[in-house]
Amino acid sequence: MTANNIIELKNIDVTFHNGDQTVKAVQAVDLTIEKGDIYGIIGYSGAGKSTLVRVINLLQTPTNGTVTVNGQQLQQLAPAALRQARQKISMIFQHFNLMKSRTVLGNVEYPLLSQKISQAARQQKALQLLKLVGLADYAQTYPARLSGGQKQRVAIARALASDPEVLISDEATSALDPKTTKSILALLKKLNQDLGLTIVLITHEMQVIKSICHNVAVMDAGQIVERGRVAQVFTAPQAPLTVDFVETSTNVKAAIERITNTIDLAGLAANQELMYFNFIGNATKEGIISQYSQQYQLDVNILFANIDQIDGENVGYMIAIITGDLAAFNPAIAKRVADGVKTKIITTENGLEGLA
Amino acid sequence: MAALIPNVISMKSEFIQATLETLYMTFGSAIIAAVLGLALGVWLVVTQPGGILADRVTYSILDKLTNLLRSVPFIILLAVISPLTNFLVGTTVGTTASLVPLIFGIFPFYARQVQNALLDVDHGVVEAAESMGSSPSEIIFRVYLKEGLPDIIRVSIVTVISLIGLTTMAGAIGSGGLGDIAISIGYARFENDITLVATLIILILVFAVQIIGDWLAKKVEHN
Ligand SMILES: Nc1ncnc2c1ncn2[C@@H]1O[C@H](COP(=O)(O)OP(=O)(O)OP(=O)(O)O)[C@@H](O)[C@H]1O
Ligand SMILES: [Mg+2]
Repeated sequence: MTANNIIELKNIDVTFHNGDQTVKAVQAVDLTIEKGDIYGIIGYSGAGKSTLVRVINLLQTPTNGTVTVNGQQLQQLAPAALRQARQKISMIFQHFNLMKSRTVLGNVEYPLLSQKISQAARQQKALQLLKLVGLADYAQTYPARLSGGQKQRVAIARALASDPEVLISDEATSALDPKTTKSILALLKKLNQDLGLTIVLITHEMQVIKSICHNVAVMDAGQIVERGRVAQVFTAPQAPLTVDFVETSTNVKAAIERITNTIDLAGLAANQELMYFNFIGNATKEGIISQYSQQYQLDVNILFANIDQIDGENVGYMIAIITGDLAAFNPAIAKRVADGVKTKIITTENGLEGLA
Repeated sequence: MAALIPNVISMKSEFIQATLETLYMTFGSAIIAAVLGLALGVWLVVTQPGGILADRVTYSILDKLTNLLRSVPFIILLAVISPLTNFLVGTTVGTTASLVPLIFGIFPFYARQVQNALLDVDHGVVEAAESMGSSPSEIIFRVYLKEGLPDIIRVSIVTVISLIGLTTMAGAIGSGGLGDIAISIGYARFENDITLVATLIILILVFAVQIIGDWLAKKVEHN
């Protein structure tokens, strides 16, 4: 193992038995995460994301495979040593999981209760962490009085109390509104930069991955179907599920649905075609249109266009009706592909499928 | 007053004595039953499937044992348990001897109530504690019992009230107490005012327990 890899999951299977039913929640997953990374895991509900990350701290014992964190193979540890190791792998949750019988300060102090430090030192550390998350004024409040965003900040402060190497976030922003989500993500990013904290972040929203992750794995039915740098995975998605996430997050999917519902595709003139364009980097909407209209004497009527920034790179999506000499289409399309522009003619048969 | 409750007036000291006996039986057995019931309730929760010390065999044995003990009618338990009472207390009659059947009559009931109260503790919080490296005993004391405290207080009230009811039956083994006065004097001698006043005192005890318990539960709850 490379010294730089803080998490190494090898060939992980997790199989559940519910009566006579068998659920393969995770199947043959290898996952390597580098120290200091912000690693996203995206997938729909039931894909096995939570099960997979619960394997990282052995809250879920895998049916198969090995779990190595920080150079320790966790399955070989005695219970006490495993608990020690868990203190370095903190977790935050969708529903915060704060203790309602303890004050905000009491919650943040909790992980320190089993450490041999004085009460004063414990309180001081907890207060310092509350300051870090901007909630020092709420130390004596009970969690029931806090908003969702504040609760998650307390949970983050609590997660930091044991000076973790890894922070696992299981849908930590899924119960929050967009603005609060943004501020929590900004806090996580800051912790990553300031403390060098490795973050593993589960979500079903691509926006979350795009805003803070460096690497991403796409999970479907217990398996990782695609993984890599966020920019690469989301600008050139390969797996159908990844395409689906990209098109959903950029509203392309909704647009195609709306357009195919309002326009009678079969009723388009013989010299018309409904087309979907996806372009990356230097190619622009205007460039495509002017080239089409000048070089091929085509008329481009834009029905939908959206530009997205992924890791600093512009990615454009456009749906348009093209009118003109059909014989000019083929060379035109071939030319655009060479430029890093992908096109597809939308017909009644393929209308709702992606560009993969 | 004397006209309304003629027999009670002449038996004032017996009533005071009986009330003290009822309090002694109730709280004497409650303290021991609380320890046993809490222990059994916690044991049930941690060993049940999905619990922090899940153990199918242990759970199944404890579960059946609890049901078995709960299904013995108290009046029969009084008799059945007398050899054990004799062994522990040295006699099978009297107020102190009644503590043994009272404890065994109530603690399985209390254990079930505690189990249900602890099952209401958010599983996510337990999982969070596990993820923070808490040991099973830390989770029991710092999470289950602390988070579940308001509910534990509530089920304790219900249990103490049931226990007051049981003490009135212990009169059958000469325990004394308010139930004994109501039956062996009020009922047996057709002195209805005795029965009535004994009932009233019991009701006052029940209400007092309820009010103090509710107040305590509110005090420790932070919803
Ligand atoms: N303890 C369990 N016992 C039995 N089946 C389970 C258990 N935990 C998870 N599963 C099953 O494993 C599969 C994956 O669940 P998991 O919670 O990992 O999905 P997820 O990707 O986190 O979904 P979500 O986005 O809804 O949280 C599901 O089919 C689920 O029903
Ligand atoms: Mg999940």
